[in-house]
Amino acid sequence: MMLRQLTRRTILGAASLFALVPTLAFAAPSGDEAKAFVNDFGGKLVNVLNSDGSLEKKREVLLPLLLANVDVQGIGRYCLGRFWRVATPEQQKLYLELFQDVLLNAVMARVGEYQNISIRLVDTVPSPAGQKVTLEISRPHQPSIMMTAVIDGEPPKVVDLYGEGASMRLTQRSDYTTYLTRHGGQVQTLIMALKHQLGRD
Amino acid sequence: MACTGSTERHHRGKLPVLSALVGCLALLSLSGCGSLHAKPPTDPDDLADYKAVNDPYEPFNRKMFNLNMWVYHKALRPVGHFWKNNIPQPIRTSVATLNETWRQPAVFFSDVGAGRPRRAGDSFMRFLLNMTTAGFYDVAQHLGYKQHETDPGMVMALWGIKSGPYIFLPGLGPTNFRDAAGYAIGQGLTPINYVPRGYGLISFNWGYNILGTFNTFADSTDQLDQLEHQSLDPYAFMRSAWQQQRQSQIDALKADHRATTPDWY
Repeated sequence: MMLRQLTRRTILGAASLFALVPTLAFAAPSGDEAKAFVNDFGGKLVNVLNSDGSLEKKREVLLPLLLANVDVQGIGRYCLGRFWRVATPEQQKLYLELFQDVLLNAVMARVGEYQNISIRLVDTVPSPAGQKVTLEISRPHQPSIMMTAVIDGEPPKVVDLYGEGASMRLTQRSDYTTYLTRHGGQVQTLIMALKHQLGRD
Repeated sequence: MACTGSTERHHRGKLPVLSALVGCLALLSLSGCGSLHAKPPTDPDDLADYKAVNDPYEPFNRKMFNLNMWVYHKALRPVGHFWKNNIPQPIRTSVATLNETWRQPAVFFSDVGAGRPRRAGDSFMRFLLNMTTAGFYDVAQHLGYKQHETDPGMVMALWGIKSGPYIFLPGLGPTNFRDAAGYAIGQGLTPINYVPRGYGLISFNWGYNILGTFNTFADSTDQLDQLEHQSLDPYAFMRSAWQQQRQSQIDALKADHRATTPDWY
């Protein structure tokens, strides 16, 4: 009887745990959580971009802010697509380091273009990839920009950006996987290309 | 990574006759270029990618893309930079509005074809209101009729016509068989293309097309430079961005079931 109870308890406990694991691993924020996250992160970004400091100073402040709020590792892994599986652990580590630098360089290169901006949350729509939060970025004397940030994970982070209907990470994945397919599927070739892109070869 | 804006503009403000001619020649040459058709790969993963990108003419398309980028570097980029650096923003905005206004009839007929009365009303009013300034100033936007894109290719997609393979045509840029046909239909629906010879308007037509083209180059140069700088395979990057953006435009048209009354009503 004792054994049967233990077994039942163990089974029920294990089942509960297994049920909890996916919830913890893939916890998607609610619409309100995503909005609050974007408001907070967006507000901090706007404060830095609109501040009077030099570009160098702005970059220094932005770097930790981006690393804390953007899932750079997750995006990097997604961008490698099916080639992630064939990469060695060393290649994966090196690739992610390079990808982070490429991504941050791309963002930092455009910091100067955004001055005196303001953002407005337009709407939030749930999607399989996470909560899609659409923003309107207004710039003086220039047309406003509509951008959609995909927010997912616990704690919430930006996992993708959409501009004019195109997903940043999907476009980047297409770039990398096509490059790899045309270069014999060797992840090392991509690593060399990224190094070259960063001027580190 | 922000090159996506260029793709929509690829449909705007080009020399239609020249673009169509170059495009048609390129299309015709497709049939005679069997070797430029990529064979489906045997590896299952590669085959899945091959099907996903829908680009069986990739070898041909890459040649056309390289040709386009060669012309861009040799001529279009300097022209675009000159235009951007020397022409004041208000004039550039006026040229863009002019270009957009004179294309409105094609947008209107496309909206009607798509069965979207609200969009059709907006494009009709945009043409009517903006023509009070000969198309130089966007009066309509201030009265609640915002600019939108609808073209025959999108309408055909709404009717269920398949896109056909992806193609890259010099002068036209990224497209597919359906949208290339849509572009030709769109030119047919643009009244100014029917102005008889000898009229002053024919000069105006060429003038506005050429200025519109300068504007397009000027708007696109930064994005194309960024595309070349930030991607490892600019061709694949542009293909993916264009395909996604095109699908998003079609999805937006499908989902547009707004009432016919404008926002301010």
